[in-house]
Amino acid sequence: MLNSLKLQDLRKKAAQALDQRVRIITAGLGINELRAALRGDPPTERPNPRYKVHTISFLFHIRPRYYERGSTIFAHTFRLGFFTTFAFVVETITGLILMIFYTPSPSEAYGSILNLLSNVPFGSMMRDLHRLGAEAMVIFTALHMLRTFLTGSYKKDRSFTWLTGVILLGITLFLSFSGYLLPWDQLAYWAVTIGTSMAEAMPLIGNQANLLLRGAPDIGAGGLLRFYLLHVVLLPLAAILVLSIHYYKVAREHGISQPAHIEEGKASPEEMKNAKQRIDYIPDLLTHEVFLTALGMFLLVAAIAFNIYGPAPLEHIANPQQTPLDTKAPWYFWWLQGMLKLGDKTLMGVILPGVMVAILVGIPYIDRNPHRSMFKRPWAVGAGLLATLVIVVLSYMGLPEFGIPHAAASRIIQDIIPEEGLGPLRAVPFDQLQPGVYEVGGTAPKNLCPDLILGPDQPRGCPELTEVFKEFNDRIIRATTVANLPKHERLPNVEAVMLIEDWQRDLRKVTMRILWDDVDTEARKTYERHVYLHRFHGGE
Amino acid sequence: MSRVQIEITLGALLVLVTGALLVVYGLGEEERMERLEREQQARAIEVGAELFELCKDCHGIQGEGVPGLCPPLNDKFFFTERMKEVGWSGSVEDYIVATVSGGRMTSTRPERYAGQGLPAMPGWSEDYGGPLRADQIRNIASFIMNWESTAPDRREEGVLAGPPVGTDITISLPEGNAENGAALATAQGCVACHVATPTGPGWASSASTPAIAERAALRIAQADYTGTATDAGQYLLESIVLPQVYVVEGYLTPMPADFGSKLTAQDAADIIAYMLTIK
Repeated sequence: MLNSLKLQDLRKKAAQALDQRVRIITAGLGINELRAALRGDPPTERPNPRYKVHTISFLFHIRPRYYERGSTIFAHTFRLGFFTTFAFVVETITGLILMIFYTPSPSEAYGSILNLLSNVPFGSMMRDLHRLGAEAMVIFTALHMLRTFLTGSYKKDRSFTWLTGVILLGITLFLSFSGYLLPWDQLAYWAVTIGTSMAEAMPLIGNQANLLLRGAPDIGAGGLLRFYLLHVVLLPLAAILVLSIHYYKVAREHGISQPAHIEEGKASPEEMKNAKQRIDYIPDLLTHEVFLTALGMFLLVAAIAFNIYGPAPLEHIANPQQTPLDTKAPWYFWWLQGMLKLGDKTLMGVILPGVMVAILVGIPYIDRNPHRSMFKRPWAVGAGLLATLVIVVLSYMGLPEFGIPHAAASRIIQDIIPEEGLGPLRAVPFDQLQPGVYEVGGTAPKNLCPDLILGPDQPRGCPELTEVFKEFNDRIIRATTVANLPKHERLPNVEAVMLIEDWQRDLRKVTMRILWDDVDTEARKTYERHVYLHRFHGGE
Repeated sequence: MSRVQIEITLGALLVLVTGALLVVYGLGEEERMERLEREQQARAIEVGAELFELCKDCHGIQGEGVPGLCPPLNDKFFFTERMKEVGWSGSVEDYIVATVSGGRMTSTRPERYAGQGLPAMPGWSEDYGGPLRADQIRNIASFIMNWESTAPDRREEGVLAGPPVGTDITISLPEGNAENGAALATAQGCVACHVATPTGPGWASSASTPAIAERAALRIAQADYTGTATDAGQYLLESIVLPQVYVVEGYLTPMPADFGSKLTAQDAADIIAYMLTIK
């Protein structure tokens, strides 16, 4: 009897001690309460200990105790703000890991990326995650803003939050852009050279702004270090600061917006009652956020493991002496590249984007319409949709294919064997590159190398090389025979040849040469490119 | 199940699936890193081959060297003996990087490879006043190292297998083997000038001229032809052993005149057979 009493006593004591530990770790939840919360049961104690967490815990004190049901409707927010923050956290973590392997100097940077890819387990996954997360962050930020605009959630009390949001959009774009330079390859170097040249186009202070950003008239060691520090210190700190302000306004002042008809009190009494219902942060919203995080991580990892978006590109090392034929900004700046094609750099690259930012900032003050519902503000919604459409069209115009006249000879060769990236000829299996001289004639041969035997069970010939040569042949013939082409696309009196030579073990040299009469001067002109192809060059 | 429970279950499942994906991905990492390393090496060789254009005027388009000027970089001696000769303790690749970077003030073998004067070879690294970055010089070294496995042993080739062919172009040559001819064309350095440089006429057909086989037959019929050949085979042999007899208009750089003593009749026949196959 005495023994069993003692045992009960001991068990009670142990349970109490455990409960206390759990309360410390969870900042207020006892063990029974934790269990109930995880099961989705109602609180076990009064007053609700789940609210206590929001007072004790630092991380939870910035989160609201509950949302009203109206602001949790999925089709109203699409969780875009959450996913933007999620992407930012992914960027911070993968970025810290990448920093371990990176050296911000022109002589080391490119090599450190090569080392990351070929010598660090999960190194290329970290790089791909970082790139995918960055692009996701840009997309989510933009969509989040579009959603806020369409639901009219920038009005009245929320106008300051809108301003911080516009600043965050800018920070996000500059974060992506500053990271673009760091691999120090041709793609990075020239995209950033073009990007920073807009700073140079600023009236009055252009030269100073350019020097401040690049550290020298051209991007070099100074510029790389500046972009690195912007990318890993200044901009992230600014993002954290503004994000905190942005979120604090939402959490503490005006809450996440609810659909217009609810917030304006125009819904049926029953719907209103339902929308006012409180949904506690613990456990409902917390579980939801953890679930979304798991979903986000799964989608990112799956996209990389199944190679859905392709690995982050890495071109040849930056070469300030060699401007590539095709330079392309990252897709989220194509609209700017499109605008630059329309006019002067100062007007299109500085003044107009400045006006666009001013309009974005001023939207809550320009739009005096008190209504929030989309249907009661047709002008605002129409203007917003029009602006979105304009950005899409400008982005299309920003593509290198648009509006830049390419001389036929260099264009044809660049399309078949581009300076960077794979292109059709590099995709041909090495063994099919049979050495020889292949001349362009009227009709391309059905089989370029009829005597080539690649293996016992394989058909004779080189189908893929034949295909590439056919493209070369047909485009040359088209440029010389079709009469009404624009001047720069014509190749009168053309002779063209593709020459493949054995150069070294596992290395072949391909020469592509085009001779033609210049349309204006009738002088004989030549364009040729020599490319060396190694057996293990590999795909992109 | 409540929404909380559904989300906990689904979330846990997603975490497990993500973990499994990471494990599967991780199993392929070793192989992926090896593949990427091989690809990086391949690209280094490609870039090095492009940069070797800077070296070809002196060291030959295929690294076969130019007698009297610069040593070959593609033969066995270079990869096995040269380090001992100069007392280099590092690897061959390091030796290449060091030599290309800093150049040579004077030749180490002035009687055989005098170089181009002073300095015998210029320094190519931008650290020493040259035009190239360190990574570019490493790429050139990767390209040169790629010759190692196929490097011919020139010391053995120096001994002729039979009597030299001489300079009489009317002798009847044995049956030629085009495959041996192709190898000889590289080993003897013919391709250095006759493939892609403007130094000597290319053998392959180009935009305006037919291939060498057809051209040989046309040359002897030309009014300005100063040689004595009566058919294409004789013309080619004449061009090899007596290159100064007739120099095609536009080409002033004389070809070495000692091939008559460096080739056997069989060698000459092989090279000619190879030249006749070029289209």
